[in-house]
Amino acid sequence: MTTPFLEIRGIRKEYGPVVAVHDVNLEVDRGELITFLGPSGSGKSTTLYILAGFEEPTRGDILLDGETLLATPSHRRNIGMVFQRYTLFPHLSVGENIAFPLRVRRWSKADIDARVRRMLELVRLNGYEDRKPAMMSGGQQQRVALARALAYDPPILLMDEPLSALDKKLREEIQHEIRRIHHETEVTILYVTHDQDEALRLSDRIAVFSQGCIDQVGTGPQLYAEPATRFVAEFIGDSDFLSCDLVGSNGTTADIRLGDDLVVSGVPLHGRPGERARGALLLRPERMDLSRQAGPDKTGLPVQISDITFLGSNIHVAAATGWGETVSVRLPFGHQSISGLSRGDTVWLRFDPGAAHVFT
Amino acid sequence: MSSHAVHSITAAKLPRRRKAGGLRGFGGAMPATFLVILFFVVPVLALLLRSVLEPAPGLQNYETLLGSTTYLKVFANTFIVSTLVTICALVIGFPVAWALVIMPSTLTRIVFAILLLSMWTNLLARTYAWMVLLQRTGIINKTLMQLGVIDQPLALVNNLTGVTIGMTYIMLPFVILPLYGVIRTIDRAVLRAAALCGATRWQALTRVLLPLAAPGMAAGGLMVFVMSLGYFVTPALLGGTSNMMLAELIAQLVQSLVDWGLGSAAAFLLLVVTLALYAVQLKIFGTRQMGGR
Ligand SMILES: Nc1ncnc2c1ncn2[C@@H]1O[C@H](COP(=O)(O)OP(=O)(O)O)[C@@H](O)[C@H]1O
Ligand SMILES: [Mg+2]
Repeated sequence: MTTPFLEIRGIRKEYGPVVAVHDVNLEVDRGELITFLGPSGSGKSTTLYILAGFEEPTRGDILLDGETLLATPSHRRNIGMVFQRYTLFPHLSVGENIAFPLRVRRWSKADIDARVRRMLELVRLNGYEDRKPAMMSGGQQQRVALARALAYDPPILLMDEPLSALDKKLREEIQHEIRRIHHETEVTILYVTHDQDEALRLSDRIAVFSQGCIDQVGTGPQLYAEPATRFVAEFIGDSDFLSCDLVGSNGTTADIRLGDDLVVSGVPLHGRPGERARGALLLRPERMDLSRQAGPDKTGLPVQISDITFLGSNIHVAAATGWGETVSVRLPFGHQSISGLSRGDTVWLRFDPGAAHVFT
Repeated sequence: MSSHAVHSITAAKLPRRRKAGGLRGFGGAMPATFLVILFFVVPVLALLLRSVLEPAPGLQNYETLLGSTTYLKVFANTFIVSTLVTICALVIGFPVAWALVIMPSTLTRIVFAILLLSMWTNLLARTYAWMVLLQRTGIINKTLMQLGVIDQPLALVNNLTGVTIGMTYIMLPFVILPLYGVIRTIDRAVLRAAALCGATRWQALTRVLLPLAAPGMAAGGLMVFVMSLGYFVTPALLGGTSNMMLAELIAQLVQSLVDWGLGSAAAFLLLVVTLALYAVQLKIFGTRQMGGR
């Protein structure tokens, strides 16, 4: 067994009675870009701050190449960080900001100048060297902060929602830059965000945070196709949930009953099945089909169409089950099954049980 | 008081801006201008006139002041004590202001209350209290002797040491309050960024925190220096008779020797130095926003 590059082992952080981080475990490979994705207050920043050395964990350890980082103070961890707020030194110019970590490391003047130029090139801000941070836009300031954080070749770069103050277009532009820079520098990046689009666009892997724990770690497609918890299923991509009864189970798949009489067998099961337990059936909008007849092979659930929305290449059909829950089905434009349908019509909702999930 | 410092700086910028805008809108400022002329310009002119007219027209009062070693020593005393007081107040005041920013807000409020209470306590009472503390048989000397640090009591009073100690204490709030105002606006995340960049605490202090707090240091330091230049009560009580400061000299010239000409000249010199210092500070920090952002 090889030691992982970075290992977060059983980290817990309490602030008095508040438990900010319950129990976080994660292994990160060298050169990976991994995002911490989760709602506000789920402990992402606290975990990052423990990595940076601003906070000490109540319990647990951080290992870099197998050795604990916790004994090293922030200023000797050699970690780069870009913060949510703008943290450029306001009294220094852009060039001096990037040179700051090199000056405190006592690099020679020639080396500093060369490195500052290279970093400005990396973030595409050549010529801005003498500007004061106050004269730069938010996006530019964060790019300078990125250059400052990478100037000393840190093995790890932490980013705590660095783009949350920027508008959507600029955000996407800089996300693109971050990916490019990640490829060019091969630095290991731990990136905090609460925005699933950002996480999906940026990362090699995503760690989904919920209430101070990591629910699941995986690539975007893995999390989408095989969510481990209902929370992950809800957080990644669009999802519909239908309540159902569990009528049988072999531990990995379950037989469920929808409504009064439709029984579907072989649905992948997450969680422990109890006696006559209730469950939630996860259906993805593009994995469902509508048909005018209940087919013999697939399962069919009668639903009543409540709305049809044309969205270019897609058509969204909202429909209600007999017991009042709604699903939203996404069909490609021109799909024959819905031609001629209109609001109020009853159709059969069909899905592949093996591609659905049931959570207890 | 922090707002006092900020106001005094913006207020001093106003006349400049008005000049740039010509005389437009001058009518609305008439009452204020009149008050300034009546209560500031007229007395200063009177001072200036007396200093060059009494006892006879000419600059002989200034020649006397600047030509005699006795008077020059008074000027030197004044500048040395004011400089020391300013440095001591800044060195003590900075950590206190920083502590006030980072401590829990209830504690901050208590410390502020103590600061204000001490400022409202009668100046004479506070100075006499220092006399008691600093005298040869006072608690400071007794403690130091009991601890074995010294054999003989130190001469802490009736000299410039006593004046410096007493005035530093009295001036402390005037640096703490403006510094608190400036330090509070500094984002602590900036200091975290400095730490991750590899800066030790000392480097973060000298390369980030102090430069960002510089406007507050300048405002507080200038206020203390200028107030110290003209301070009377504390030097009179805690200083010895042989080490006079400027305010004492002026009082003596006018009250005991009834030499209005020489007294006015000394007072006018003090005013000129004060205004010059103020101009220097405005030149360095006036155009920059307080707080560095
Ligand atoms: N210094 C602190 N004192 C008390 N509670 C804190 C402190 N820092 C964070 N918390 C709490 O810990 C939880 C997790 O916070 P945080 O890590 O900032 O979440 P996230 O970055 O995912 O939004 C929140 O409930 C927050 O209120
Ligand atoms: Mg956060």
